[in-house]
Amino acid sequence: MALIKRLYDWIDLRIGAREIVKKELTGYLLPRNINEWYSLGSVLLVIFALQVVTGMLLMVYYVPDAEKAFKSVTYIMNELPYGWLIRLCHAVGSNMMVAVLIMHMLSTLFMKSYKSPRELNWVTGFILFTLVQGISLTGYLLPWSQLSFWATTVATNSAAAIPVAGPYLVEFMRGSKLVGPPTLGRFFAMHVAVIPAVIAGLIGAHLFLLKRTGISTPPFGTKEPAATWSPESYRYESHPGGIPFFPNYALQDLTSISVYFAIFLAVVFFAPNLLFTPDAFVPANAFQTPAHIKPEWYFLANYQTLKIFPSELLGLSVQAAAMTFLALLPFIDRSPERNPMKRPVFLVCFVGGFLLWIGLSIWGHYS
Amino acid sequence: MENDGRRKFLGVCLAGATAAAAAAAAYPVFRYLAPRSDQQGSNKLEFAASDLPEGEAKFFEYAGSSAVLVKTKAGELVALSAVCTHLGCIVQWEKDKQDFLCPCHAGRYSPDGAVLSGPPPRPLAKIPVTSANGKITVG
Amino acid sequence: MTYLRQLRRSSLRPALGALSLAVLAALAAPQPTHAAAEAPAETVCIQCHGSLPDRLGAPVKLWRTSIHSENGISCNACHGGDPKDAADAMNRSRGFLGAPKEPDIPAFCGRCHPGVLKDYLASAHGRALGKGGPTCVTCHGNHAVLKASLDLINEKSCTRCHSFERARIIKEAMQQTEGHIVGIDRKIKDYQAQGVDTERLGKSLFAVRNRFHTLFHEVNVTKVKAESNDINTELGKLDRDLKVVDEARAKRKVAGACAVAGALVLALLFHLMKKSYD
Repeated sequence: MALIKRLYDWIDLRIGAREIVKKELTGYLLPRNINEWYSLGSVLLVIFALQVVTGMLLMVYYVPDAEKAFKSVTYIMNELPYGWLIRLCHAVGSNMMVAVLIMHMLSTLFMKSYKSPRELNWVTGFILFTLVQGISLTGYLLPWSQLSFWATTVATNSAAAIPVAGPYLVEFMRGSKLVGPPTLGRFFAMHVAVIPAVIAGLIGAHLFLLKRTGISTPPFGTKEPAATWSPESYRYESHPGGIPFFPNYALQDLTSISVYFAIFLAVVFFAPNLLFTPDAFVPANAFQTPAHIKPEWYFLANYQTLKIFPSELLGLSVQAAAMTFLALLPFIDRSPERNPMKRPVFLVCFVGGFLLWIGLSIWGHYS
Repeated sequence: MENDGRRKFLGVCLAGATAAAAAAAAYPVFRYLAPRSDQQGSNKLEFAASDLPEGEAKFFEYAGSSAVLVKTKAGELVALSAVCTHLGCIVQWEKDKQDFLCPCHAGRYSPDGAVLSGPPPRPLAKIPVTSANGKITVG
Repeated sequence: MTYLRQLRRSSLRPALGALSLAVLAALAAPQPTHAAAEAPAETVCIQCHGSLPDRLGAPVKLWRTSIHSENGISCNACHGGDPKDAADAMNRSRGFLGAPKEPDIPAFCGRCHPGVLKDYLASAHGRALGKGGPTCVTCHGNHAVLKASLDLINEKSCTRCHSFERARIIKEAMQQTEGHIVGIDRKIKDYQAQGVDTERLGKSLFAVRNRFHTLFHEVNVTKVKAESNDINTELGKLDRDLKVVDEARAKRKVAGACAVAGALVLALLFHLMKKSYD
């Protein structure tokens, strides 16, 4: 297509497009032994983009007023053409984002890509993880159903255990003593504007750090010893003789994204009720607490931990300690060895910790 | 190279498949955002004014559920949904009291639908009604 | 095949195994059951009588199992009095009515259930009031009042006063309609749990169900049979409305299957394209 070539040349003359393509795409080399887990990052980007798009579409018809919110969501689900599809994509997508994020975190942990010089990448990623939890929590309230109302009440109540500032913190979060219209107002602002902006900024930082440091080499499937980093001067980790990002790994990214879509669409069309209880379709009633309110699956472990410890403060502290440990892992674990098979202590902690989280979640579901 | 031939074929298939996927995604979004044609107001009902004496109510079906037309002793004409806002029973007109009573849990409404007593949380929904040339038009 | 070989050699397998277990566990976990409503802040009546022994405390336990309790209707709704002030809770000048005498029972319940009162008074049962005939509490109980159903018409209950013959005919005539109503109710609840706007349908069913239940107080076999026909027509309309919802849902599933298949085809094509570059 001569026209396309002429267009490309025109752009190239002005911004040096060919040079950019060579540097970022065809000339951007990745380690030969790269595996599929490395594509989860781009899957997360696509999920985030979809959440933003579906969220914006929902905002066209959703009304963030306690009297009207539930009815507006019912209208979207029943009267608007394909409103149900947009809403379900958004709801299922938020759960998928947490699930894929956990897989991304686990694979990074397992392959030790959090180690020097990638500490900042891990820290930004960890902050992103907490922000995603925050955006899920705030979004959950917006339909103003019985489930939304009471799950938010339970979740915000847990902060009351913090000594001294606790009860004031709870009231500040809610905008009033109990969950009510002021809560909806601030949660909406957080969910729609504040948190997405911060997430977008942090994703930018996360990607910049990734590009600047260079992709890590997976610690298995290669005969050469992994390049060890020496803290003398900044050095980009290059992979001479490696696989070009475009088109080779870009195609892997696209494959993973397509597989994600297959699973995602299967849930949207065939099992949307996996994530909704009947209480999600009853308007919020501040005077009637349903008997079996539980948080979403990704908060079940936290919920169960609070139930185990006799003192709520102790339960909160244990969780805070665990999160802090995870956040500061690159500064705690300084051994340069990356192959998990050669690090039995790490492997035991990794598998044990993961199974503990699963166990607590299952227990939380049945308790 | 044999690979080249394969790549070209796959490239064509992929281009087609992605175009189809993009169209399949764009269509619902377009329908979702497109302004909707006015669906209500197309079904109107007519009654002869003589059918409805003063102080009486006439029950009929409108838009799939029960509705009632009332001509109060003061001469006012009101059309309301006859579905009680409590749990859904059909309200009854009490000629002697000139109000609506729901037989299920004794919810009471004034002739213009306002809640007088009992469990109903909201007034009876109003339906537009006009009267001209001895004809009453509902909707 | 290179990545499969990598997979076998690498230690991703235990991680994958644990992860798939996690996904399976999350997907296989059954949904929590439909929540039951809790009563709002308790009235002083319940607070006091709940801790009294024997005859004075028994009604509280009975009431807790009732449909009145489920809907937040406490003692003062029937017996009057002040539900918030313990000193005036049983003060006659504050509207306290005490327990009604037998002939006054229908009017007592009829304050909130006027439709039923009217039907009852017009029936053979109502005409026998004060002459050995049944009152509301004879069949419905006084504090453990449950949601009305056909089970209230049973041999044990009716034969306290007369033979079960005609009651049986009435019950049989109504059983099929009752089954139909229960079926529609379940379907509506299922759809509501999936986000369908069932308000209009739910209200229609409630109205039809009540119309049907007024027949219970009729105890006139011919009338029952005639009314049942009308009611079945109404139920037919509800059935048709539900069928429309069914069909829309089926269409969505087909579209969904195409979408998932499309995504899988895309995945395969991208994958093959990638292999061609390896």
